[in-house]
Amino acid sequence: MLETMAEESISNGFMMNPVSGSNPPGVAKKKRNLPGTPDPEAEVIALSPKTLMETNRFLCEICGKGFQRDQNLQLHRRGHNLPWKLKQRSTKEVRKRVYVCPEKTCVHHHPSRALGDLTGIKKHFYRKHGEKKWKCEKCEKRYAVQSDWKAHSKTCGTREYKCDCGTLFSRRDSFITHRAFCDALAEETARVNAASGMHSLAAAGNFNYQLMGNPLDFSTVFKPNISSSNDDAIDQTRRGFSLWMGQASQGQEIQQFGSLNPGSIYSDPLVSTTSNPPALDYQLNWVFGNMVSSGNADDHQVTTSVSLPVSNVKENRPQLVSVPSLFSTQHQSHQTPSFSMSATALLQKAAQIGATSTETSFLGSFGTKCSNSQDGNKYSDLYVSNIPTTTTANDISTLNRLQMYPTKRRRMQNEDGGGGGGETRDFLGVGIQAICQPSSINGWL
Amino acid sequence: MYNNNNNNNLHHHHQPQISHTSTSRSSDYSAGGSGDGEPSGTGNKWASRLLKECARAISDKDSSKIHHLLWMLNELSSPYGDCDQKLASYFLQALFCKATESGQRCFNTLTSVAEKSHSFDSARKLILKFQEVSPWTTFGHLAANGAILEALDGEPKLHIIDISNTLCTQWPTLLEALATRNDDTPHLKLTVVVTANIVRSVMKEISQRMEKFARLMGVPFEFNVITGLNHLGGLTKEALGVLEDEAVAVNCIGALRRVTVKERAPLIQMFRSLGPKVVTVVEEEADFSSTRYEFVKCFEECLRFYTLYFEMLEECFTPTSNEKLMLERECSRSIVRVLACEDGQDNESECERRERGSQWSERLKEAFSPVGFSDDVADDVKALLKRYKAGWGLAQPHQNETGLYLTWKEESVVWVSAWKP
Repeated sequence: MLETMAEESISNGFMMNPVSGSNPPGVAKKKRNLPGTPDPEAEVIALSPKTLMETNRFLCEICGKGFQRDQNLQLHRRGHNLPWKLKQRSTKEVRKRVYVCPEKTCVHHHPSRALGDLTGIKKHFYRKHGEKKWKCEKCEKRYAVQSDWKAHSKTCGTREYKCDCGTLFSRRDSFITHRAFCDALAEETARVNAASGMHSLAAAGNFNYQLMGNPLDFSTVFKPNISSSNDDAIDQTRRGFSLWMGQASQGQEIQQFGSLNPGSIYSDPLVSTTSNPPALDYQLNWVFGNMVSSGNADDHQVTTSVSLPVSNVKENRPQLVSVPSLFSTQHQSHQTPSFSMSATALLQKAAQIGATSTETSFLGSFGTKCSNSQDGNKYSDLYVSNIPTTTTANDISTLNRLQMYPTKRRRMQNEDGGGGGGETRDFLGVGIQAICQPSSINGWL
Repeated sequence: MYNNNNNNNLHHHHQPQISHTSTSRSSDYSAGGSGDGEPSGTGNKWASRLLKECARAISDKDSSKIHHLLWMLNELSSPYGDCDQKLASYFLQALFCKATESGQRCFNTLTSVAEKSHSFDSARKLILKFQEVSPWTTFGHLAANGAILEALDGEPKLHIIDISNTLCTQWPTLLEALATRNDDTPHLKLTVVVTANIVRSVMKEISQRMEKFARLMGVPFEFNVITGLNHLGGLTKEALGVLEDEAVAVNCIGALRRVTVKERAPLIQMFRSLGPKVVTVVEEEADFSSTRYEFVKCFEECLRFYTLYFEMLEECFTPTSNEKLMLERECSRSIVRVLACEDGQDNESECERRERGSQWSERLKEAFSPVGFSDDVADDVKALLKRYKAGWGLAQPHQNETGLYLTWKEESVVWVSAWKP
């Protein structure tokens, strides 16, 4: 059921000028009858390559003139004033003819896979086994059949592919690659539940430039955080939360600037790194919400700020499972379990708050999704993992519930903008995005 | 225009491909131009001069000169300036580490900082943007996919072993081709081998996307990730889980250079033991390997290569691009590693010792024989390059050389090749 939903939505989402002979990406190939499964009663004709390639096969018996098509020959014969009988074709019933490809290695060489018409077998022969003499000027593509080349030239460069997220592409390959990684793809199963409420993300892209223009200004924004102690930092980050409210994708930008702090690394790599990282980690800790830094003191901070990650589910969910691998091995063992316990404990606590009535509507389609992702994760044993299996349907619905808090909701919508999604992101879209992640954890574990 | 006439490229490339010494390149560089007469940030060449002098001073252990030059470079450089300033800044960092023997620590710090600011979203954005503005990576993907599809044509069960840090951006187009090419869509098993933490952390998300996309394409698909390795040299046949009835393709993108020099031959032999139908290799055209015991020569080659790369980034991205900054930072880590870290301090390490296509060919010929790329693939590559800004070209080597080269302003920068047992 899931797959048909996907197919429907995808075929609606793709907009491209149809060109004969090409399969639009994203539409699962329908298995129709294989070309070349002919009527068993038909007469099988095996023409030689020479004959197939001959352009004027139809010869007039009177004057020997050759024609490409039988109709043309008949027209010509009328001009010879033949007696009536000879003017007509013989009335005996002509058996249906099918043609095999002379190329022995070809799949259509065998009579069971013969093709139904002469033009078809000719084109096939040229396409598969012939020399590609016709070349498109715009894109270098080569064709063996002139009509294919003509058809292509008409549309070459004019095609546009549009992704569900709204981005337009002129190149098919970059469209396909984008599609595979697009958040719109991840959300396609939630399409039926999407409510109104568009959120434009065009502005998100511009943030990069503004920030880039004034790197120093940004480090001053964080100055208050840098010099404080652990407790102060926590308060700072909480205050900082409101600072972030209106500023969408800065989250991502700040991360990069955070790493600028060791800019003085040239003078003394050792000194600068030891002084900056704690502050850096606080900033990043807050941004990600669940980042664990290398200092022991941060354990406490993680526990208290863990309310934030829940709102930032879109970014954090993958973070949640990948936290172990972000750090050097010495930190992994003692850090991760404590963190994951807190997050899971929080979820369980939250589960007690809300009811599970929302479950059915959102999770109807996700029931199958969960099971799908389970068999897909064969490498779970190869994967380093310390996260206990505690995410349940309860958690999913309460997660959604938690997103109803207005401040967090706004932030999440903005966050999504930074994530490089599409125009139609809305509250429920985001909520469902959040839902998608936990279920994948389920399957992963 | 650079990419119109292949013949021109061929002639131009005859010389660079034969000569492996870096001195010819660097003397061109300081003589005032990389061949096209364009200033492009190398106008007064101060960075190159100072950097090389400093490298020599370090090699000579001339302490006062070292200090003087480091100070000067520190004054003039900036990671946010023009190309010269950036190169000065990042190479200064490596020189400093070399002089103070703090390369490994610096590298570890830079890496952990990068890991902290790294997420699936940032990684995805980075790699897709790079592929949008430059064919540096898509060139190799396209050619490799072409060779793989041709080698595995007609096989019902495919197993592709992907040793790369491409975050699987190579595979959507291959999946699409598998889905649309034939009536019988084969089953594809994709095993991705990752060692870098920065990649490891996002593989979960990547795997979901890939599985979903394959479902969409209607390709029966299985995805495995091998993350337990910390150095590629330790990869074993057993870990890969190759089955009897599978048609195997080994795909190495920027992978061989990460293997320590002495582990390269054994690894290639291990690939051979998998009985693959095809092995595709994509590497960047630079030699940090044969010069690894000669600091100055290695330095100059490193500078030559990264100058090209930085100039390319400068031209392809917008001036304020965050992605460009990320890529430059990635380079800075590589530069520190190549110039200031000792190789194989322990047996469990990786490096970044690039070799040129001809050198890799010598190694691969020990176990494999080269497969040429078909005309169709060459056409596809040319079509690909046409979709990018001017400056890119395709060079098809002649004589005994194998593979295809991507050229930037007539310089070979990326090499792709295909091999069979």
